[in-house]
Amino acid sequence: MRLRTVIALLILPSLAALLGFVGVIMYQAWGSLGGIARALFTLDFDVLASYGPFFIYVLGFCALNILVFLLLYLLLNRLITKPIRAITSAMEEFAKTQQLSELPEFSRDATEVKSFAEAFVTFAASFQEVHSHDQEISRVKSDFISTAAHQLRTPLTGIRWALEALEKEPLDENQKALVESAVSKSRDLVAIVGTLLDISSIESGKHKYVFTTVDLPKLVSEVAGDFTVQAAERKVLLTIDTPQEALPPVRADKEQIKWVLNNLVENGIRYTPAGGSVRITFASLPERVQVLVSDTGIGITQKDRNNIFERFYRAENAIAKENAGNGLGLYIARTVATDHGGDLNFAPNQTGPGTTFTLSLPLAR
Amino acid sequence: MDTTKFILVVEDDPILKNLLGHTFAGKYQTLYAADGTEALALYDKFKPALILLDLTLPGAVDGFSVLETVRKRDDEGKTVPVVVVSNLGEQAAKDRVMQLGANSYMVKAEVDIDEIVAKIGEYLPA
Repeated sequence: MRLRTVIALLILPSLAALLGFVGVIMYQAWGSLGGIARALFTLDFDVLASYGPFFIYVLGFCALNILVFLLLYLLLNRLITKPIRAITSAMEEFAKTQQLSELPEFSRDATEVKSFAEAFVTFAASFQEVHSHDQEISRVKSDFISTAAHQLRTPLTGIRWALEALEKEPLDENQKALVESAVSKSRDLVAIVGTLLDISSIESGKHKYVFTTVDLPKLVSEVAGDFTVQAAERKVLLTIDTPQEALPPVRADKEQIKWVLNNLVENGIRYTPAGGSVRITFASLPERVQVLVSDTGIGITQKDRNNIFERFYRAENAIAKENAGNGLGLYIARTVATDHGGDLNFAPNQTGPGTTFTLSLPLAR
Repeated sequence: MDTTKFILVVEDDPILKNLLGHTFAGKYQTLYAADGTEALALYDKFKPALILLDLTLPGAVDGFSVLETVRKRDDEGKTVPVVVVSNLGEQAAKDRVMQLGANSYMVKAEVDIDEIVAKIGEYLPA
């Protein structure tokens, strides 16, 4: 049944009754209206009592109207509000989980609502189809990358081990230098393959995070310890401002976050010229703890700013001459941070040159 | 050392096998298996003091099966040190291997042979 019909069926008779009543009352009480008004004004109850029937008419009329509008309200609720709420919550759930929950039968409700529900179900089904197709493509891509990467590892192992054995043979200066070059490049290759595998496992969602309670300052000092030699070699001062008050622990996969921190500190050192510094500080927010890695380095150009979290992007002005990074680090780092329910951001330093990267992680409950 | 220890190297790639052998020469008596079936047969016959185990092996019996079968034995197989040296880097593989009773897990492409030798040394004190 259509909604318009229902509303018409209720309102028209109601309107007719209203007009009818008004007409009757006007006709009967026309002369007396003045008297009633005066009696009301002066609260003359005797006079008012004689107009009993009049008041009964009025009361009856009001009661009928209340009844009619109550009925109208209940009907509208049943026909419109409830079904629309049901459809809305199904939509919200679909937006969140891409799962379509059961919608109740709308057969006895307004036709318009029923067609709305059907349209939504059709839309959801076609969306799911496209979505699963996209996921399939993504999975195929990830599988390809991980298969290719695995295949690369065996020959890489052979090269690495053969070079290791060669290094131990008696070699002259020239030969030693050549072997060292090969060793260095083969290690780079291994690192890239490892990163490719990481990225494909993270992207395919297969990566299992092991969340524990982690004390960030402690983890950061471990990481910094690993970089003291490198920092000294490049004449970059690496410092940590340990907070005076103990920071609350965060919920994190220790190995993964350590990897992210490694990445940030290494980048800081790499992009800072000799004589500069990398400073690590902490901040405590209501729901999070932050680690800030500030360097006094060459900064990130406007152009790079939008791209550094993209895959394979490497800033053009990397100082170090050696093959610095493979452009996947920050992409993975940010993905790991957001997978933790946190974030990774950066901003140019306000005072002085360089950039500050901020890693936020949620508190452990 | 009174007796040089026997170690069983299970590795299907011939070049990698040779490189390992090249380094182990003089340190250990090395047995080689190129697939799972051969590995189990050799274990049965010689009861080596340690197994260096690759996971991706040709044929029906892979490294996981070798590990599982050896651990199911009633003799020293239950406790013989097993160092898994494989290029399967996933955490899932590592977890499964440790669950099956391996002692150590190393990713071939990420370690030098010297590191493998050192790891073996941990389980076979001279």
